[in-house]
Amino acid sequence: MSDQTQDVFPKDPRKTYGLMELVKGTSPMVEKGPEDTVMSWPHLMILEVLAALGTTALLLFWSLAAKAPLREIADPDVTENPAKAAWYFLSLQELLLHMHASLAGVIIPVVVIIALMVIPYIDRSKRDIGIWFASKKGRKIALWSAGYTTVCLIGLILFDDFVRVRSLVNEPEILPGWIIPILVIGGLMVLLYVLIRRWQPTTREVLIGLFTGFVVTYFVLTVSSLFFRGMGMHLTWPWDLPPRALTF
Amino acid sequence: MRDRLPVLSYGLIAEIITQHPLWKRGIRWVSRGTEFITRNRVWQSIFRQGYPDTEENQSRVIFNSWFLHIHPVKVKKHSLNIKYTWGLGVITAFLFIVLVITGAWLMFFYVPSVEQAYTDIQSLATSVTFGTLMRTVHRWAAHLMVVTVFLHMCRVFYTGGYKTPREFNWMVGVMLWVLTLLLSFTGYLLPWDQLAYWAITVSTNIIGSFPVLGEWMRVILLGGHEVGPAALIRFYTMHIAILPGLMAILVGVHFWRIRKDGGLSSSLEANKIDYGGSTR
Repeated sequence: MSDQTQDVFPKDPRKTYGLMELVKGTSPMVEKGPEDTVMSWPHLMILEVLAALGTTALLLFWSLAAKAPLREIADPDVTENPAKAAWYFLSLQELLLHMHASLAGVIIPVVVIIALMVIPYIDRSKRDIGIWFASKKGRKIALWSAGYTTVCLIGLILFDDFVRVRSLVNEPEILPGWIIPILVIGGLMVLLYVLIRRWQPTTREVLIGLFTGFVVTYFVLTVSSLFFRGMGMHLTWPWDLPPRALTF
Repeated sequence: MRDRLPVLSYGLIAEIITQHPLWKRGIRWVSRGTEFITRNRVWQSIFRQGYPDTEENQSRVIFNSWFLHIHPVKVKKHSLNIKYTWGLGVITAFLFIVLVITGAWLMFFYVPSVEQAYTDIQSLATSVTFGTLMRTVHRWAAHLMVVTVFLHMCRVFYTGGYKTPREFNWMVGVMLWVLTLLLSFTGYLLPWDQLAYWAITVSTNIIGSFPVLGEWMRVILLGGHEVGPAALIRFYTMHIAILPGLMAILVGVHFWRIRKDGGLSSSLEANKIDYGGSTR
């Protein structure tokens, strides 16, 4: 035993010691003694109780500030305008305006869920585990990808609303509905990858760029669909929204 | 000169309070009361350890309790770092508990029929004590959970928490995110107002647009070709039984795996020898 380990695991004079086994590899606790841990009671318990109390307080104050909405009784004959999905699905509804419904509402979400699930099997390096954004470079890539995605999405939304892809290419339906959206999405992702490459990123840093793209897309599309879509889901300013266009 | 002035510090305030005779008498009463409650066979048959002020009792209080035994007796200091976890997993789990409690309470006053659902919600506000508060808390907690579960996923991603050996728990986490969205979605229809009806109509139309299988999936989901009585009872059953059941099971697996995988991820695990790929 080295001197350092001696401090961590002091020899007990009542016991005998011998080498029992050699194990290959490392563990999180290697060369780290019990001093790196604390008792769950009270240290973890206090934090959990505080989190619960804080959340309860927030919920109560929020509930005092705003009541849960309730509109008129459901009526299939009176269409809501705009008819919006719940806010967390509004990013999909925004996509719906720009491509075939099943691409926006079924294929893309399924692909996203599968892509998220396979992340750990693509990035298998343990070099930078537990480090926010992997490195300085990773942080830069995340910021860069966020900016890139925001600008691209706003550009695309404005282009499709003011110029309209369908006014340029309408026939056959497969072009504006499927091929153009897939090419644009795929193209922008490849372009993002090409732009990131100049920093010579690791696999994880490339994934950070792509994941940030996904998070920012979800956010930007939700905001645009919730706050910038009025009657008939046409673009409008948030202050011109009909009051019923906000769906919570 | 300045540092000779008496400083009213927390320490001093605490000392003034704890030296006061009223405080001392209060402490005596509390400890007598505590002894009365805890020094008997009934209490000691339920809580088998003494007050957790020694490490032995602090260990036993965790593993003797069904509610607490999901925790390890000791945790890595690192995993208590707020700036690492932001408490998002704990907050999400707590919101689920809040939703189960408020949700079960709301079930007392709600019948999932097209004739009654809407008026039941209305009467929560007019004839049920704390009805509006409970419904509001349920709704905002649901929205908040959608947010925190997503932020939790982002936290785990950006800290590399999905890496070996936590691949499977990451997958379970993604499923929990999807389940959260489905729970929120199925609950959205239940008030049976215009907001609910058209949101579900819009969403299920999207599924129906899928080539060949779309309409079939939509009919399975709605129990018919339109959002009607059958859809309401299906969404209700999904919302109060099937999805929460699945959720509870997966949450159990998720927590269990945290321990099996060696606690929360930590930079102590960072391996200088890199096995993974690089684009370089």
